[in-house]
Amino acid sequence: MRTTPRMIAAALALTSAASVRAEVIEASATTVVAAGQQLRGALANQTPELDTVAPVYELLSLQAHELRNPLFQNLEVVVAGWASYDAAELRWNTGSTQNFTGDLSTGYVRGQLFSRALTLRAGRSFVAAGAGRMLQLDGADLLLRLPGGISLSAFGGIPVAQRFRTRAGEQSWNPTGGDLAYGGRLGWTLPFPGAYGRALDIGASFVEVTDAKVTFRNPASYTNPAAPLFLTDAGGGIVRQDAGLDLRLQPVASLILTANGTYALAAGRLAELGVTALWTASRKVFVTADLKKVSPDLFLSQNSILSVFTDKERTDLGGGLRWQALESTSLGLDYHALLEPTGEGSKTSLGHEAAARAEWEHGHSRLGAEVTYLVAESLTSEENGYVGGRLFGRQELGKAFVTGDVQVHSFKQEVNGSKLAVTGALSAGYALGGGWNAVLAGRAGVTPFLEQQADLLVKLVYNSTYRVREVK
Amino acid sequence: MNRHLLVAVAAAFLAACAAKDTKPVPKADPPYVFPHSPHVDGDVDCKGCHGAIVRDVKLEARVRHVALPKKNSDLCNGCHDDKDFRDKIKLAIPPRTRAFEVRFSHKDHLAKPGVTCTSCHKELPEAGQAKPSRLSMDACTACHKHQADYAAGRCTPCHVDLKRYEKPVATFQHAGDFLRTHGALARPTAESCAQCHDQTYCAECHSATTAPARQSILYPELVQRDFIHRGDYQSRHTIEAGANPASCRKCHGSAFCDACHSQRNLSANTPLGTALYLHPADWLNKGSKDFHGTAARKNIVACAGCHDSGSSAICAGCHRVGATSIIDGAPMPSPHPQSFISKHKGEDRTKKGVCMACHLN
Repeated sequence: MRTTPRMIAAALALTSAASVRAEVIEASATTVVAAGQQLRGALANQTPELDTVAPVYELLSLQAHELRNPLFQNLEVVVAGWASYDAAELRWNTGSTQNFTGDLSTGYVRGQLFSRALTLRAGRSFVAAGAGRMLQLDGADLLLRLPGGISLSAFGGIPVAQRFRTRAGEQSWNPTGGDLAYGGRLGWTLPFPGAYGRALDIGASFVEVTDAKVTFRNPASYTNPAAPLFLTDAGGGIVRQDAGLDLRLQPVASLILTANGTYALAAGRLAELGVTALWTASRKVFVTADLKKVSPDLFLSQNSILSVFTDKERTDLGGGLRWQALESTSLGLDYHALLEPTGEGSKTSLGHEAAARAEWEHGHSRLGAEVTYLVAESLTSEENGYVGGRLFGRQELGKAFVTGDVQVHSFKQEVNGSKLAVTGALSAGYALGGGWNAVLAGRAGVTPFLEQQADLLVKLVYNSTYRVREVK
Repeated sequence: MNRHLLVAVAAAFLAACAAKDTKPVPKADPPYVFPHSPHVDGDVDCKGCHGAIVRDVKLEARVRHVALPKKNSDLCNGCHDDKDFRDKIKLAIPPRTRAFEVRFSHKDHLAKPGVTCTSCHKELPEAGQAKPSRLSMDACTACHKHQADYAAGRCTPCHVDLKRYEKPVATFQHAGDFLRTHGALARPTAESCAQCHDQTYCAECHSATTAPARQSILYPELVQRDFIHRGDYQSRHTIEAGANPASCRKCHGSAFCDACHSQRNLSANTPLGTALYLHPADWLNKGSKDFHGTAARKNIVACAGCHDSGSSAICAGCHRVGATSIIDGAPMPSPHPQSFISKHKGEDRTKKGVCMACHLN
């Protein structure tokens, strides 16, 4: 198990020490008390138990920008974390067996050197560029901008595990798992003269994640009771080893084309391919078209035995349209065809995903309506899907507001013996002044898993930005 | 869990809030008091009031960069020659409270040949106007060719802070189904995103590993936000995971799924005798329409929701080399797809734990 308490503690110490000398400080604190019921246990044909959960959350966020220092430009410290106490039963996703728990969502120090040509960051953050694919790491990364539009980024660290626990792949909530990750991206940007934004971006990237050691059931133990039950492979294993190419082309101001592909080197197959076109047809019309191919098994850890059983690809193809019909009214429509493997040879089936949305906003009022439709392959031979509807609204009343949100889903096949889910939420809030806001919300519904559902939430929020900037 | 870290986070937050040399940002400045247009029309020299600006190399917060001429000055008396007017007008310029949004040296710019105040300031605020007359970026880009900076999303040398802008401009607009397309846009230009968004914003949705709860649970009042997993997602999650299993795996590891499944006795990690067996009756019968092998080939990620125990998953019990069928006693066929066999043919299976779980030495 590798942990990074020293690094995190150092970042926090920097924050507390440096924040008083920062030019801009954004602080946020949110206290949430929620209460509701969750299902527990049960065998087949038995009624599960209902546990009452009442977690109290405290969410803190602090961003200090442009810290005065003699070395870095734009030095910033960003920390966001939370703690919670389960006043009743433990909620299902607490990530801990203790009533009191918490985590650091983000925590990094970032600064620039050499006239902003080199950006350095250390702490807990996401690697987003190229094949990194939002990999959450405790580590460091850098971005170097060279002449001629060339950029080089590199990162290394430990995939984040929940609640500062073990990094081992099998027990981590991190989708990547593993205990060491590193990689980078080499990019080239060619700006075109004329309208701003016109450019060509090309990048090649690489990411590798490994486990230091892999523990597995000794196959001999199935037939020989005297054999050790588990063995450890100290040579470790590759969790993920991907090479990626990405491209962004904006030939004219109104059109953006993107393409990216990720090739899983260890499997020798394409993990992901995406092509997207975004076209601003007019000031009121926006059109998108996209094609995506993925091999879901390559999103599993490659030292999981589940990664050796299939090589099926999925394709989805479609697009969307947004139309600002009136100044106050926008309409949207999206459709994607889903080409899914049936599991029988190379056969595929056709699924559908569609959504329509209308939104009206005038003054302090907002209303919206959505209809969603999804039909896709399920794990068994019967496909499943739903038709969904949603109505929502928000009304500002001076310092107060009220919101309403109702969702209905009608399922094609029964889900836990039911074909209908209805949930609704009402919220009311009031700006107390000085950056403080209070919100009271209630949710109720009838769902396949809860015949009667009722949750209550009380929230106190503090948001404020402090500036002492003297712009140079 | 290290409780000291939580205490440290809280302490850091309190330290920042208690910072002595910081002041909260006011909501807005008072309205403008000076009617610019008649003075511009009257060819009054801007430097009469803004004389010091020609020496300013920076924009200072809380400073208007203006000093009105003294009463009865020649500058005013040229037009305002009636005594009543001079007595009537008691002009006081309120202090500026907003921070400036760009870095700019008037001294450097006004020293360049042909550059005057109106080269950039095409529109000036009038008396009673509540909001400033913002300069268009065209004022800058008419001379400065920043294509490379713009394309690379390098805004900070000139722009101080882009976070306050409510809606992105031009190519950075977030139109359409941005939830679907933003990942493709971020791959080549993640640094552009960082110009406006700190990673705390990304983490709201992307840090499923470290998040306290779903955003739609914590912020039910944000009805306009495109939160994923809104409402009764528990009932929909198997359907949506069936439609796009890779999407789940971008944020959630198998252990995340199992954390909930275990509470419902749906997990393979639940002790024998307590597990809920939800698979169809003919799950093990090859040739049946619900055969588990077909399901696994179709969507192995769904299996991982309960059965991903690394190299020691439940599959190895039956599919290991040398095992026989529990139904008819026949040797188990290779479960690998052809592409897997081709890729790994000839590899030393003793070097990988994932291979050794089935392939006996």
